[in-house]
Formats: sequence, C-alpha cells, structure tokens
Amino acid sequence: MQKLVDQERAGGTWLWQALSGVGLLILLGLHMIAQHFIAQEGLRSFQDVLAYIRNPIILVLELIFLLVVTYHALVGARAVITDLGLTRQQGDTVNRILTAVGVIMVVWGFYLTWFLATRA
Amino acid sequence: MTGIPIQHEPLGRRALRAWFDPRGRGVGLIGFAFNRISGLALFVYLFLHLMVLSTLTMGTGAWESFLQLARSPFFIVLDASLMAAVIYHGLNGVRATLVGLGLLTSKHKAMFWVVIVASALLWAYAVYLMLFVF
Amino acid sequence: MSDNGRPGPKRPVTFKVFRYKPGDTDPPRYDEFKVDVDPRMTVLDALEDIRTSQDATLLYRHSCHHASCGTCAMKANGREILSCVTNVLELGTDTVVVEPLGVLPLVADLTVDMTSFADHFEPAGMTLLRKSEFNPKAERPASVQDYARYENCIECGACISACPITNTDPQFMGPADLAALYRALVKGDDLPEKLYALADCEHGAWRCHTAMECTAACPSDVDPGGLLMALRRRVTGYKIKRLFGLKV
Repeated sequence: MQKLVDQERAGGTWLWQALSGVGLLILLGLHMIAQHFIAQEGLRSFQDVLAYIRNPIILVLELIFLLVVTYHALVGARAVITDLGLTRQQGDTVNRILTAVGVIMVVWGFYLTWFLATRA
Repeated sequence: MTGIPIQHEPLGRRALRAWFDPRGRGVGLIGFAFNRISGLALFVYLFLHLMVLSTLTMGTGAWESFLQLARSPFFIVLDASLMAAVIYHGLNGVRATLVGLGLLTSKHKAMFWVVIVASALLWAYAVYLMLFVF
Repeated sequence: MSDNGRPGPKRPVTFKVFRYKPGDTDPPRYDEFKVDVDPRMTVLDALEDIRTSQDATLLYRHSCHHASCGTCAMKANGREILSCVTNVLELGTDTVVVEPLGVLPLVADLTVDMTSFADHFEPAGMTLLRKSEFNPKAERPASVQDYARYENCIECGACISACPITNTDPQFMGPADLAALYRALVKGDDLPEKLYALADCEHGAWRCHTAMECTAACPSDVDPGGLLMALRRRVTGYKIKRLFGLKV
C-alpha cells in the first residue's frame, strides 16, 4: 500500500479509549459501591481496607481497574496535548513521558496492593 | 474584544479561546469543553488519589487521620465537585462514543441535554448520600 | 413601509469591524461604523455601504451574492456566516461585530488566505459531482443516462473556522477535508485503501472530538460532522475486516 501519510500514527487509540471508557463505567461503579455503599459510614477504616483487599476477586478487579483507569487517563492527557499541534519528535517525547508515568503509577499501585494484601 | 485575531494569539490563549469560549458557539462546544475540563480534573485527581492511598503504608494512625480530613466540610465540597466531574465525564463519554462512531449523530444536541439532566439528578443523589446518609 | 416595498423602517445599527493591514493598521483594532439598516439588508450590503460611503479602505471578499461560491464567509457576533445571505436585523443585536474567519492566515481586514484550505483538499479528492438523489422514480428521457448534482460544499471555510481543533492543531485535516474524503469513498472512484490510509491516521478522522461546531457553522447543509462520523464508522469496519482477513 502506498504510504501517503504518516500511517504509523494510525488512530486506533480512539477506539481503545472509547472501550476503556465503557469498561470504566462498570469498574468505577463497582469500586464506588464497594468503597462507599458497602463500607460503614461510606469510608473504609484501615482494618476494613485490609479485609477488603484480601479477597482475591476484589484484588483482581481493583488491579484491572487500576490498569484501565491509568490507560484512559494517560491517553486522554495525550489527546489534549496532541491537540496543541506537535511535531513528530514532540509527539514521540510526549508518548515516552506518559508511558513512563503510566508504568510508575501501575507499578506503585501493584506494590501498594501487594503490601496491603500480605499485611498481617 | 481583544482586537487580536485568534490566528495571531500564542498557542495557550488560542487553545483557551478555541476550546472553552462559548460565544457564538452551541451545545456541541459546551459538551466538548465540559468533557475536557472534567477529564483534566480527573487526571489530576488520579494522582492525588494514589498519593492519598499511599498513607495506607504508614499504618492505622495515618489512614485514620486522612479519614478525619475526608469528613470535613471542605473535603465534602471537593468530593461533591469530584462526583460532578465523574458523573458528567462518564455520561458524556457514552454520548461522545456513540456520536464518534456515527450513531445517533443527528441527535447529538438532544443527547447533550439528556446527559445534563441525568448528571444533575445523579449528582444530587450523590450529594444527598454524602451529606445525610454516610 | 420602507421605500423598497418591505414593511418596516430603517434601524441604526453599529458595526464593529475588525481592521488589520500588515505594516499599516497593525496591531489590529476594531473600527465602528453606524449604518441605517433597512429590513432587507444583509451583512454584505452593510459592508458595501460602509466601503462606499464611509471608509473606502475596508477590505472583504464577495462574488456570487447568493450563497453558492462561499467567498464572503466571515464571522458576525462570533459566529461563522455567509455575509451575502445573513440579514442584519435577524442577528438581533444593535451592535454587530464583524471579523474574519479563524484558523486561516490573515491577509487584511476581513480577508483570509484560502491557499492552505484549498491545498488540503487535493489528497482527499474533491468530488464536485455525484449522483442526484432527487426523484429516483422520475422517468428519464432516453437520451439522459443519469441525473447528477453538484456537491453541497462551497469551500467557504466556515467549518474549519468553527472547529476547536483546527484552531490549535495545524496538522488536523479538518472537517471540510474529511467530509470530502468520505464523499470520495462513497463515490468509489478512487482506491479505497488510499482513502482509508488518509482517514485512519492521528491527524485524520480520529483527531475530532465530536464538538460538531462544523455542522452548526456550515451554511450549505453539508453536515461535515455527520460525514466525519460516518467516515469513522467506515474506517472502523475496514479495520475489523482487515483484522479478520475479510475482503474490504
């Protein structure tokens, strides 16, 4: 196929952003119910948090939530920045920075979850 | 009237005018502007939320101190604003997804008003829960 | 009754007109002109009145005077219009602010440089004619193979001026381009792969954030926003078919 434009920048990202958004409607809904409706007085105490995160289903759901919300947030931020008109080089730099931020956030979130789940 | 045509504005001011100035524009731009503002607010909130959750690594005392703060009137106002952003961004996101895939495109204005009304009702319920139930 | 046969007296309206001439009226400013507007007057009529009786240096473009060439597109009270068919009194304000279109480089006063706008169309393929949708069951004379019609788009630039993204991202193809691309796809004359490649890139169909201000601004019923979304639907279907190795 003749490459007429910057084909490497194909925009399927929008579709994934839409899908992750729909996913967040469910995941965030579950998160809100668990944290504020089931918890007494709408906020979990320290012991409540430990008991909650030890449930393996909850653990998996919260980690999936973390991944999806981090992706959606960073792709959203990238869209706003890209709307300002970036050169190819600037776009690559922004991608690298946001990817690094995303990795740090996910790694920290996973560590935090492991820390709480394994705490006696 | 600034006297400066938008084409001549520096990028920052151009973005503010083109993205958020409703003068001469319709509900389409207002929906987009609210989505962008709520999205940016939620982006910042995500970092703050992770930072707050980090206090869990410091033990019961640190977390309970945060819970005290979370029950203060100032924090409840912040939480109410957060709920407005979450609800609007979520519902308008559904609208943007449908329109963005060429579904119900001609109904985008009516859908905007449905989003506004639904957001207002859900937000009112959320605030009621925060103030009187939790 | 006014002297042109239309009911209603003339009303004084103040026009705040954007003025800019590189090296002369620089920095830009707004000049005020008072015009006695009769009920039939359009914004273009008022500008002609100003130029002939108050300020001969006022610069603006016009041509057909009946909304088919797109030359006179500008902004009135912050909104994109065709000045030749926009009635002054129907704007509903005693002061009318007249400005050039956004996005495109300024030449002077109310004129902008349309070169980049025209250049953008070339890769998308500017279809001028398509099959007419009128009277499909009408009896056709034997000598007539088919009915054709001109496309609605008059290349006025109102849609790209109204778009929040074209104002900040110069690489974004823009609603006029992408609507033309969709029409080219539907028409089927060009290789679909070439057109899909143009649409399915970061600054193509996916840069749009569905503000739909392009459709609101279009004076010619093109619905560029709607066509852009229909293009996205097509591109999504194309990508899914390619993913599963189906015929596109």
